[in-house]
Amino acid sequence: MDRTTILTELKKVLVPYTENKTMLDGITEETDLIKDLKINSANLVDIIIDAESQYNIEIDFDSAEKMYLIGNCIDIISDKLNQSA
Amino acid sequence: MISTGNDIVALDLTDIKRTEQGRFYTQILSNSEQKLYQQVSCPQLPFNQYVWLLWSAKESAYKYLKRLTPELVFSPTQIIIQSLKAPNRSGNDVNVTLWESTCDGEFYSGTIVHLSSTLYFRSKTSASWIATVVDQNESFKNIYWGVKSITENSVESQSAEARYFLIDKLRPYFNDLHFKKSLIGYPVIFNNGNELNIPVSIAHHGNYVSYSFVLDQAKLLSDNCEVDWTA
Repeated sequence: MDRTTILTELKKVLVPYTENKTMLDGITEETDLIKDLKINSANLVDIIIDAESQYNIEIDFDSAEKMYLIGNCIDIISDKLNQSA
Repeated sequence: MISTGNDIVALDLTDIKRTEQGRFYTQILSNSEQKLYQQVSCPQLPFNQYVWLLWSAKESAYKYLKRLTPELVFSPTQIIIQSLKAPNRSGNDVNVTLWESTCDGEFYSGTIVHLSSTLYFRSKTSASWIATVVDQNESFKNIYWGVKSITENSVESQSAEARYFLIDKLRPYFNDLHFKKSLIGYPVIFNNGNELNIPVSIAHHGNYVSYSFVLDQAKLLSDNCEVDWTA
C-alpha cells in the first residue's frame, strides 16, 4: 500500500475524532493531530485501535507514542504493513 | 522553574466496553498499574474509570513536565502511577473551585514517577467527569484548581470557556489578562502586555473545562500587590 493510499484510509479513521473536516480534507504529512485537527488527546488510543483494525496490523507502545504527525502515522502504518506482508 | 498540569475527562465521551478491552487499556496502563487496581481498595471505582483516572493523572504529569522538558513526548505507559489512595480529605489544601456545590473535599491521591521526577496528584471523580491536578509538593500549597461544566461543547467553545474560567479566577489580582501559547504549546498569560511568572494549565473535554495555576497569594498580599509577577 503506498503512502497516498494509507493517507486516504487514515482520513476515514480520523473522521469521528475531529470537528475540523475542512482541515482533514487538506491534511498533509506535517499535519499535527492535536494542534491542527484539534483532536482531544483522550482519543489518541481510539485512533490507534481503529488504525489497527483498518489496516489489520498491531501497533506497539513504542510506535504509538510517535503518532502525532500524519507523516509519522503513515511511517508506522507502512512499516507494520511491510512487516506483515 | 515551577510548573503546573491538570486534565479532565468527560466520561460520556468514553466507551466503557472499549476501555475495558486489553488492547485499549494496555496502551495506557503499565503492568504495575494493572496490578495496582487489584491492590487498591476502591469498590466505588469501576475499572474503566480507573483507566481514565490514571489517564488524567498521566496527562496532567505530561503537561507539568513538558514545560520543563520541551522535547518530552507523551507516552502514557512511561509515566507511572506508583501509588493510589482511595478518596480522603488529604486534598483539603487544594484550592478547588468545583461547579458542583456538593463537593465533599475528598480526593484520590497518589504519586507519579517519570524517570527521575516524582510528582503528586489529586483526582476527583463524579458521575460525569474525572479531573486531576499534579504538583511537585505533596502539600499542594499555592495550587488553585477548578472544574466546571459548559453548555456549548464545540472544540473552539471548550477552549475559550476554559480560558475565561481561568482568567475569571485570576482577575482579582490582575486587571488586563490575555493568553498566548508558547512555542511548545502550553498556555502563557500576560498582564498589561507583560508575561506573568505564574504557570497555568487548562483542559477541556466535552462539556467540562478545568484549570490549574500556582499563585503564592500570601506573597502577593504581603508585598501589597507590588510584587513583580512578570516572567
